[in-house]
Amino acid sequence: MSETTQPKKAGQIITWLVAILVALAAFYLMNHAVMSMQGLPLNWNLTPAQ
Amino acid sequence: MNVLSRTLLFSVALVLAFSGVTYMLPQMEGPAPKQQVINVGELTMESFVALGKELYAGKGACALCHNELGRAPDMLAFNVTEVSLQRIADPRYEGSAVDAEGYLRESMLRPTEFVVAGFGTKGSNDSESPMPAIDKAPAQLSALEIDAIIAFLQEKDGEPISVPLPVATAETTAAAESLPPPAASQGPEEVLTRYGCAACHSILASEATLGPDLNDIAARQSAAEIRESIVNPAAVVGDGFIVMMPEFPDMTIAELEMIVAYLTAAADDQT
Amino acid sequence: MMMFAIPIRISLARHLGTLLATAALIGFVCFGFAATASAQPGDRGTLIVFADEQGAASTNAASLLPAPVLQRDDYPNIGVSSRSIVWVIAQMHLFFGALVLAVPIFVLVIEIIGFRTGDDRYDDMAHEFMKVSLTAYAITALFGGTLALALFLLYPQLMSYLTRAFGSQVLVYAGLFFLESMLLYIYYYGWNALRYGNRKWVHLTLGLLLNAVGTTLLVVANSWTTFMMAPSGVDPETGAIVGNIWEVMKGPLWNPLNLHRLIANVAFGGAVVGAYAAFKFLSATTPEEKAHYDWMGYSSNFIAILAFLPLPFAGYWLTAEIYAYSQQMGILAMGGILAWLFVIQAVLICTILLAANYYLWSGMARSEGSERYRWAIKYIATVLILGFLVWVTPHNVIYTAAEAVKLGGGNHPVLGPLGIMPAKNIAVFLMLICTFLSFQLYRRADKVIAVSWQNWGNALMASIYIVAILNIIFAGVYYGYFTNTVYKVGSSVIQVMSTLVVIVAGVLIDSLMFRGARTLHVSWGRVADRSQYALFALPITFTWLMALMGYVRSSVRTHWHVYTVVRDNSADNFIPTLQTVGNMVTLVTLLFLAFLLFIFWIANLSGTRQLPITVDADAAGARVGT
Repeated sequence: MSETTQPKKAGQIITWLVAILVALAAFYLMNHAVMSMQGLPLNWNLTPAQ
Repeated sequence: MNVLSRTLLFSVALVLAFSGVTYMLPQMEGPAPKQQVINVGELTMESFVALGKELYAGKGACALCHNELGRAPDMLAFNVTEVSLQRIADPRYEGSAVDAEGYLRESMLRPTEFVVAGFGTKGSNDSESPMPAIDKAPAQLSALEIDAIIAFLQEKDGEPISVPLPVATAETTAAAESLPPPAASQGPEEVLTRYGCAACHSILASEATLGPDLNDIAARQSAAEIRESIVNPAAVVGDGFIVMMPEFPDMTIAELEMIVAYLTAAADDQT
Repeated sequence: MMMFAIPIRISLARHLGTLLATAALIGFVCFGFAATASAQPGDRGTLIVFADEQGAASTNAASLLPAPVLQRDDYPNIGVSSRSIVWVIAQMHLFFGALVLAVPIFVLVIEIIGFRTGDDRYDDMAHEFMKVSLTAYAITALFGGTLALALFLLYPQLMSYLTRAFGSQVLVYAGLFFLESMLLYIYYYGWNALRYGNRKWVHLTLGLLLNAVGTTLLVVANSWTTFMMAPSGVDPETGAIVGNIWEVMKGPLWNPLNLHRLIANVAFGGAVVGAYAAFKFLSATTPEEKAHYDWMGYSSNFIAILAFLPLPFAGYWLTAEIYAYSQQMGILAMGGILAWLFVIQAVLICTILLAANYYLWSGMARSEGSERYRWAIKYIATVLILGFLVWVTPHNVIYTAAEAVKLGGGNHPVLGPLGIMPAKNIAVFLMLICTFLSFQLYRRADKVIAVSWQNWGNALMASIYIVAILNIIFAGVYYGYFTNTVYKVGSSVIQVMSTLVVIVAGVLIDSLMFRGARTLHVSWGRVADRSQYALFALPITFTWLMALMGYVRSSVRTHWHVYTVVRDNSADNFIPTLQTVGNMVTLVTLLFLAFLLFIFWIANLSGTRQLPITVDADAAGARVGT
């Protein structure tokens, strides 16, 4: 494997990792927002608070 | 095969396939509501409980929500009498029932009085019940039918039945299917008496002077003015009188016209 | 004709002109309603006497009359089931009404696209769609008139009560049809006369006004339907009308039904014109014709699926409002005797999704760039089939005692949990996401993306898909099976939002990533004949589904004409068997198909021209040449 493909692969992995984390964070926040708006609050671990 | 034939064949085949699905599924027919006349005099406690059981799954539609799917407490799965007493003893309970029968009746007539934890309307934090009042439409159960269901619920757990067997009286009506139309008045004298006109006005046998004399009102006012005075007493107030006359929101148009006709005719009689 | 060649101030004048015209129309309609509203003041039950100039009195006594109490003998009997007659006529009217209201909506959008891009193909396609709609318009009116006659003949007391409830609003409805007809005829027949420049703006404005009137007609008629299901503005004890026209119209189900029907009409309309395009494609003789109708079919399918995707959300809102109004009515629909209809609905929607997806996959053959995405098709197909199997699994089946013993209870130990809503929600939302994925892959198939940040864009898009799918499964499984009822029901909104995020993000990210992309060649017309059958399957399935769901909406009132107010005591006051329902729905679908073929034929016929007959004078006898 040449020197240029290793950083490229690492760059790709980082891109994907960041993308997954961004998506996870966005959906986590959306879950909280959607359930709270209905009067059904959640705990931090997404279990029902009521 | 030309395009039209292929299209038609495909279309008809697809439609028949969908139709075929409906043939494969269980066939059920929703029964038409029947006018059931219950001969109160012939009721035994056994047949009364059986009536309650029939109403539970039928006209009362209780089983629609009160089942194992979790939308409402599954009353067939626990001892209703014991649980009712537990509910009354619950610190959140603020209703007026003191026994199981009272709790059950209250739950049916005023479901929001006490909502079991976890069964309230979404977002109401168990302060509001999604259950409709059973004596109103669409269930519209009569008092007799409500008693029958209570009897059934008590009997199914082997508990003593506290609901008395209904006695045949003139007022007992079974399975009321419709609301009776409002009773028509008899004549102008009954209407005037019902609305208490004679309390303030001189009319019929009264000689009250709190309001204008109605015996000869037609000489002073037209039919339209008389009508307006009844409907909107504050519109025109006679000389020397103050606004005291109440409004009559329940008066029907027929009664109004009857009074106006009577008062204008009374003047004719006097001239 | 390029828009940017026109000076700004004229362009502004056009915009203002359109806005003013629309505002004037909306104001006119509102005035119409205000006028009817003011004629019926809404004090609750108070007798009110008016005196006009002559001193004659009139009252709002009519509003204090109670609702009619009907006995079996009150219903006219013409020897055939009254419900069946009204069912067929009403459903036919709704089919055609949906079509003629929907087509102008997307025709206007296509016309605008043609106007902005300067591509004549769009304008010609829009014009061709309107031709189909115009013939259907007369049939809509015919069925509407027949429906009114049938209703007044067979249910006179109910209609007397309903006309009392709605009063002069029905005249506003009739008046709007004059406006609709005028606008429709000018819009269609004036198409070529108002083709370019300022006149095109006038034409577009006419199209906008046409749609405004059409949508008003829809919401007015919807108010009658929702009043019967969830009456408002009436005294609950006697059924007397105590509210003004707004209170009567604006019941809890009105706006949910408005939204649902508006969107569904567009999906339905798109599917029907797609069938027209497919028929013409299969009958085409030249490559140009094939290319034209292939493109038209694709555009129609696009409209149909674009409108179809938000439909479950609108339907969810409608059902949620039904539950909020009367939990009994809601549970009757989905958990009681009508529940099996939703299993049939599963079969129908899965057919729609499979047909739409199949059409997109077939369409990938038009471009070489699609080869890189073919691997995904089998996975999408697997999810669709699995989703269908889960969705169609019922919760309770009527077992014999012996079968119940073998099963070990009332429900199947493994398949039982698949019968309730959380499982079905997971299935349907995953199917919707997969359909959108098919669409997104198709859109990417003919492009080579050139933006510098494409790795980030693709990674984000893929992550959104993955996390959304996991979120939908998590919400469905955890809240659906391990928490209480209210959280279970509330979690479906999480699933809805997850799906919407995928769709919105997909559209946004792709539109940004397509900037400066190289477009590969798309061979319109190069698609297998069998893909056109997917375009036939769509409207047929939509039609059958529309009739089925219309039946559910009507039947959920059970033995009430107007729920809790006017009891149904006719000979038809029972819920029919599924076979009966299936037969009726098949009947109206086949009838609609017959009418539709007639409409397509007429549209074709109007473009046909017979050449004059020539006679050869030299021949011994007359020879007819063509």
